[in-house]
Amino acid sequence: MTDRSAARAAERAPATGSVRRIRMPQKLRNLELGLLIVACVINAGAIVLVQLGALGRIDTQLVLLGAGLSALVFGLHIAMRFVARDADPFLLPVATVLNGLGIAMIYRIDIAYGDAGWDSAAVRQIVWSVIAIVAALATILLIRNHRTLFRYTYLSGLIAIVLLLLPLVPGLGQTRGGARVWVGIGDLVTFQPGEIAKIALAVFFAGYLVRNRDSLSMVGRTFLGMRFPRGRDLGPLLVVWALSMAVIVFQRDLGTALLYFGLFLVMLYVATSRLSWVVLGLSLFLAGAIIASQTLDYVNGRFQNWLNAFDPAVYDAQGGSFQLVQGLFGLANGGLIGTGLGQGRPDLTPVPQSDYIIASLGEELGLAGLFAILALYVLFVARGFRIGFAGQDDFGKLLGVGLSFVVALQVFIVVGGVTRVIPLTGLTTPFLAAGGSSLVANWIIVALLLRLSDTVRNHPRLVIDG
Amino acid sequence: MSELTLLVLQLGFLLLLWVFVFAIVYALRSDLFGQRVRKLQPDAAAASAGAAPSASATAPTAAVSKPAPAPTGGGGDATSENASRLVITSGAKSGAEFPLGRDEITIGRSSDSAIIIRDDYTSTHHARLMLWNGRWMIQDLDSTNGTFLNGSRVTVPTPIPLGATVKVGATTFELRR
Repeated sequence: MTDRSAARAAERAPATGSVRRIRMPQKLRNLELGLLIVACVINAGAIVLVQLGALGRIDTQLVLLGAGLSALVFGLHIAMRFVARDADPFLLPVATVLNGLGIAMIYRIDIAYGDAGWDSAAVRQIVWSVIAIVAALATILLIRNHRTLFRYTYLSGLIAIVLLLLPLVPGLGQTRGGARVWVGIGDLVTFQPGEIAKIALAVFFAGYLVRNRDSLSMVGRTFLGMRFPRGRDLGPLLVVWALSMAVIVFQRDLGTALLYFGLFLVMLYVATSRLSWVVLGLSLFLAGAIIASQTLDYVNGRFQNWLNAFDPAVYDAQGGSFQLVQGLFGLANGGLIGTGLGQGRPDLTPVPQSDYIIASLGEELGLAGLFAILALYVLFVARGFRIGFAGQDDFGKLLGVGLSFVVALQVFIVVGGVTRVIPLTGLTTPFLAAGGSSLVANWIIVALLLRLSDTVRNHPRLVIDG
Repeated sequence: MSELTLLVLQLGFLLLLWVFVFAIVYALRSDLFGQRVRKLQPDAAAASAGAAPSASATAPTAAVSKPAPAPTGGGGDATSENASRLVITSGAKSGAEFPLGRDEITIGRSSDSAIIIRDDYTSTHHARLMLWNGRWMIQDLDSTNGTFLNGSRVTVPTPIPLGATVKVGATTFELRR
């Protein structure tokens, strides 16, 4: 009898121990659940407001589709309670709100265009969101530890280059809006492989820099107070630079080139903490861009549209600044609190649901709404950097910083282009814009960051270098 | 739908968006502005008072260079109940904290240790902290340069008093509430 009670006590002791250990992480998940509920209320509210504003009645069909999407997000949340219970609780709600606001705005444009059913971009966007969230779920389930990615450093580099070159293959690649960045069979299913390539590139850069950063940071000549690298260490920088320039020339895609090159420079800077790399890289890129603007017509046109947007000649020209200026007019029409969802005229701007979704949202939600959206991006990126800083291994650190920086840079390039801070380049706004490949890529980034943050909290370690 | 209703709904929606943003910011406040300091000081005072009442006047210096004699009373021992973190008090990462769970914590130069100390004085597997009947014990794993608890070399697994200085290589740490 005493033996049995002792055994029972011994059984109970580890049980309470495990309860104590999971109490804290479940707190994180409960916080996430609360924020997710608010996020879904926001998303449903946005769709209902669009319908009230544009149609004057509530159409339950799309609300139900949106509810299905919310169910999937909650499915991801429940899966994380089991496989990633220490993961960051803020990334998923933020991504959900951004995705939902995008769907609401795309739906609003559909109403203006009179598209319905399968023609409707909003329905397609919901389907893509489902695919993207399932991809994120698969990533979390398959990659149980980010360090496995370290083994595939060079393989992911190869995958990135293959993905980049894919649109150039005859018969497979398609040119749209002047940029040859699409692959697809007919018009049925099209995909932008460059979006996935940015994840593969981030993995490759992180692995490569962890392996080689000592030779990149330690040796070299000091000049003007900065240590410049040796000629032989410049190799990777030049290769990536040449790759970006090739993207500009052959795929006519300035934004993607800027994105890849910026990603590489920032990861190089984080890995080596040498400002000279950034100075060298930026001057290389600027030189390349200036040469491109002189020699390539479409780059020159972009610069003209940017600098002389309101010049009537530029405004009326084919491929001129009409779109850019319409977007600015839309933003101005929105004012401080916007025209109200469904009550503006964002459809006057060409492609208001993808490249110009920021202008459309700015028109209907106003400055207040646009800043809330930008604040959500700031929070997302800040969480990503935080995960990177808290990482214990160098590869995880670099990967976390790289992945979140790529989101930040993409937002900057798109929003900067639409608001005429920098020349406009065709990139998708992460999570918001209509486009399946971008959604899938960004949700995979969310999954990787969640996985990273789970590993960080799961294995508390302290490294002291004497 | 009257225009006024739509305007009110629009304002409500914008408000909801900002409430969401600030809910996240509020949940992140410790991350953005650091942990609350006010709570820390009475704890630290209580810890040093509980561990070594006689040495409390010299506690700040004792933690760094002059180890106080090991208290013999068992009342101040760190247990799973009253100790929640390990704080590095001197060395390269001075001020860093490490959460105490229920798992043992290995200290050493090897990369599979929980606390990795890479200096010339630390052995590959130097020492470990473990819970023994609910009390935190330090055990030296036959290290070359030894592990010191309040200045005396640890030869057998020894209970660690709260706030007592443990020295491994050039690094010292304490267990705190």
